[in-house]
Formats: sequence, structure tokens, C-alpha cells
Amino acid sequence: MTMTPHTLPAPADAGRAPGEAREIDEAIAFNGVGMTYSTNGGRPRQVLDGVDLRLARGEFTALVGRSGSGKTTLLNMVAGLVDPTSGSVTVMGRRPRDARPHLGFMLARDALLPWRSALRNVEYGLELRGVPKAERRSVALHWLDAVHLRHAERLWPWQLSQGMRQRVALARTWALDPDILVMDEPFAALDMNTRQSVQQRFVDLWQSEEHRTVLFVTHDLGEAIALADRVVVIGGGRVVEDLKVDIERPRDLPLITLNRRYEEIYQHLRGRIG
Amino acid sequence: MRTIDEPSLAPPEEREDVIGPTGAGRRRSLLSRETLIVRGAQLMVGLLLLGLWQLAASARWPEPVLARSPGQTASYLFDAAGSGELWSNTRATLKAVLAAWVLAGAAGTVAGVALGLAPRVERVLTPYLDAANAMPRIALAPLFIVALGINTSAKVALASTLVFFIALSGARAGVRSTDAEWLRLSTVLGAGKRQLFVKVLIPVATPAIFAALRLGLIYSLLGVVGSELISARDGLGQLIAYYSSTFRMEAVYGILLLLGLVAVTLNQLMGLAERRLLRWQPPADR
Ligand SMILES: Nc1ncnc2c1ncn2[C@@H]1O[C@H](COP(=O)(O)OP(=O)(O)OP(=O)(O)O)[C@@H](O)[C@H]1O
Ligand SMILES: [Mg+2]
Repeated sequence: MTMTPHTLPAPADAGRAPGEAREIDEAIAFNGVGMTYSTNGGRPRQVLDGVDLRLARGEFTALVGRSGSGKTTLLNMVAGLVDPTSGSVTVMGRRPRDARPHLGFMLARDALLPWRSALRNVEYGLELRGVPKAERRSVALHWLDAVHLRHAERLWPWQLSQGMRQRVALARTWALDPDILVMDEPFAALDMNTRQSVQQRFVDLWQSEEHRTVLFVTHDLGEAIALADRVVVIGGGRVVEDLKVDIERPRDLPLITLNRRYEEIYQHLRGRIG
Repeated sequence: MRTIDEPSLAPPEEREDVIGPTGAGRRRSLLSRETLIVRGAQLMVGLLLLGLWQLAASARWPEPVLARSPGQTASYLFDAAGSGELWSNTRATLKAVLAAWVLAGAAGTVAGVALGLAPRVERVLTPYLDAANAMPRIALAPLFIVALGINTSAKVALASTLVFFIALSGARAGVRSTDAEWLRLSTVLGAGKRQLFVKVLIPVATPAIFAALRLGLIYSLLGVVGSELISARDGLGQLIAYYSSTFRMEAVYGILLLLGLVAVTLNQLMGLAERRLLRWQPPADR
């Protein structure tokens, strides 16, 4: 069974016809993806079993589900770090490994390299891709500025606070100008206040330009609804819910929780995650 | 009247405490006071030891034939420095120390990195490496002397057997300490094998490699002097052997002191280089 994204009925149901999705360019497609991990000695563990999911270009999708439901596994497939044991994944119509130049990747742990200053960490991806020094420096400075860390360019990672580190990671991701952002609980390690400010910075960046495709894993249902166009729930190895978030943009993060629609979607999804 | 602190309205990034130039400046001045205290205490300890030595010498303790005062030792050092005996032999020892350190340090580091990256090969070789490393090196000295002759090569060979294993285990541990997350991220950002090696593995391994090389330098000195004690034409170890056999204990003590001085100097130089190279580490980790 393939689940198509739907909208909660009422107030104004702008449900789309099933065939319509095909006409949109696909950024990421999971086709009947299954994953069985072999465990040392024990029985093989089936984690995913027939995940079908298509992400349109420019769409912001949040992936939620219980711990161990296979969200990180799906992201790793998009990044070409693991291959599905059945089915296939394509990114921009190609094999994930070949689509890496389109990808920005961000994790809960910032993974800053401790021997590089904040600026040189932002430059890192560009350096790996062979961008000349002068150019990557100016790009990196631009994005450090965008996350309000221009004053910290020379500091070593250990001299930065958690929130600052994660913003450096954000700048590093953005500096590559990725078509697709793949993020695994990127703000989970932050305390609530810092998280809100980094989230807002992130939404502002995303809303300020032509939308990049985002696949965003989170444990925080509120975060998923506040940020995304669409929330996908993974459970029992497959997609159990695929819901449009019909709340207009631009969104203001702290205020969105007061929106009635937010509350409805929240309650509905909570029921689906179980 | 305000009774509680008002929440700050400044955006978070402007409230954050940045360890900027002011913070670093404060730390440096604290450090220099700290340094002063340490240096002062070091001087006191030195004077105390000298005093104890003088006491032991005047009491002719533990054995009259061994008892020599700091003064007698100083006068030997003064004469030997004048005659050039000290310099030529120090130079001979240091030459061998550096040769062994550079050669075996480089070879051991390369071998350690390779083993760190090839766990299966390492599993095969581990028992042999352990066995080789457990051999008392001094027992190898006659062997090297017969094989290479009584010359610098024999000293270098013996010291190398010590330095090699130290460098090897440091580099191996260093490469192993890589965070899987860094490798994942770098791979997705587009790093190839060569880039992973140069931009992640080597920087990760640098602190451990450096610590090993620092230790290796001292062991190089021990190896060379040990070899010279057994048999050599020159070097501080050879001088010690000669003066011991003629019971010129003030000379023996003087040369031992000189060796200590050499070791401390080498260590300090390494520390200096290390601090420059690893200035990205938080001070506590250095
Ligand atoms: N390399 C692996 N080898 C074996 N099993 C694995 C491996 N990676 C993940 N698993 C298993 O697959 C399941 C899903 O893992 P995954 O990390 O994708 O979950 P997740 O949804 O991201 O969970 P969380 O929300 O806790 O991060 C888990 O039960 C885990 O034990
Ligand atoms: Mg996960």
C-alpha cells in the first residue's frame, strides 16, 4: 500500500488528486525500501519493511516515529552510507552515492573538527569539494554572518557554547549550497531556549530563499509541525501517517503553538505515533 | 525598585559569553604568575637536593668510596668543559640520539598508522610485536656491536629498537581514536579515502603521535647511553663506564647530571613544539 500525503479534513480541505504528485520533480524517492540488519550472532533484525515515500523538490518533510523505528536508517540511505536490503532509494533521480554533491548533512552532534577554527569548520565541506581558498573563505564568512557568529570566526570549537557550535554546523551545511538538507535531530542536544533561537535562525534562513528540500528527523512533534510542510510517521517498518501541515508561512515559531490548527495536527499525530 | 532580575531582551547571541581576547589575556597573566610560582618552587627543590647531597658527602654516606661533594663534581665539570672532553662526547651521544629518534620515530609512526588502519594485519602481528617489545634491549647491545662494529650505528640500532615501539603504539592508538561521526560527515560532504586520511585521521592522531615521540626522545637517550656503557669509542655513556672503572665518582656524578640536563632540555623543546602544533586543544588536554 502506498500512502499519499493527505490533509486533515476541514477547515478548508485542499486535498490533492492522487496523480498530481508525479508531475512534481522528485528530490528523494523511497521505493518499497526494506532493511534487515544482521546482528552479531543473533537473528537478523528487520527494521524497515516496504517504505514508500516521495519528497518533492522544495518540500520540507519531518520524519517522526518512536525510538528505533528506523528514521536514522532512512537518512543514512539518502546519504549513501547504507544500502537498503530490498527496494531502492533515489536522490535527484540518481543513486544516493552519486547525488552527494546535492546533499547537506547535519546531525545531533555538531561533529565540528576540534583542530579547525569556527571559520575553517564552515569551510570544510567546500575544501573537500576543491573550492579555491579565497572563494571558500568569503562563502564561509557570509554564512557565519548569517548565523550571527561573525565575531567567533577565530575561536576553536571548545571555546564555543553548544548553541554556537550547532550554528557553526548550520553554516557549514548551508555553505555547500545544498539542494537537499538531510538533518537527524539537529537541535536535540540543545537546551530549550537555545533550541528555539537556533530553530528560528534555521527557519528564517530556509524561508528567506528559494526553498531547499529538507528531510528532517525529530523526536519533538511540536518541532516537526512548526517547521515542516509535511509530517511523516514511521512505525512498524513503514509509513503509518503522512500529513500536510496546512499552516501558512512565514511562520513565527513561539507563536505557532497558539494556532488552533497546530493543536489539531499535534493531537492527531500523537495518536498515530501511539 | 527592582527586586528580581529582568529577563534580558537582547537576542541570545549577544548575551553569550565569548572567550575572546580579554578572556585569553586574563588567562595568560594568570598563567605567568602560575609559571613564576612553579619556577620558584623548582629552584627550592633543586637547592634542597643539593643540600642533601652535600650532607651525604660530608657524612661520607653511604660508602666513603662513593662519597663526593657537589663542589668536587662541579670542579670536574669545569675542567672537563675546558678540555673539550665533555663537548665532544655530548655531541657524539646527541648525534646518535637524534638519528635513532628521527629514523625509528618515523618508521614507528608509519607502522603504527598502518596497523591502526588495518586491524586484521594488526591482529596477526600483535603477538610478535609484543614479544619483540618485551625483549631486554640491553641484551641486544653485544649483538649490534658485533654486527655493526663499535661505532655510532650500533648505538643508533639499540636506541631504535626502543623508539620504534613507542612511536608505533602511540600512532596506532591515535588513529584509533577517530570519531565515527567525523568520518560519516566527511564522507557525505564528499571526502575520498585520501582526504579522510589527510584531513581527519592524521589530525586526530597527532596528539598521541606527539606524546609518543616526546617519550621516544628520552628513550632514545637511554638506549644510546646504554649502548655506550656496554662498549663504545665515544659518548657520555662511554665516559661514565671509564670513570666508574677508575672510581672517579665525581666525574660519574657530573656526567649523570649533564645527562639529566640534556633530557630536561630535550623534553622542554618537545613541549614547546607540541604546544604550537596542538594549540587547538583546550588547555586542560595539553
Ligand atoms: N548498524 C546497525 N547494525 C545493526 N542494527 C542496527 C544498526 N543501525 C541501526 N540498527 C537497528 O535498527 C533499528 C533502527 O535504528 P535507527 O537508528 O534507524 O532508529 P531511529 O528511528 O533513528 O531511532 P532514534 O529515534 O532512537 O534515533 C534499531 O533497532 C537499531 O538497533
Ligand atoms: Mg536516530
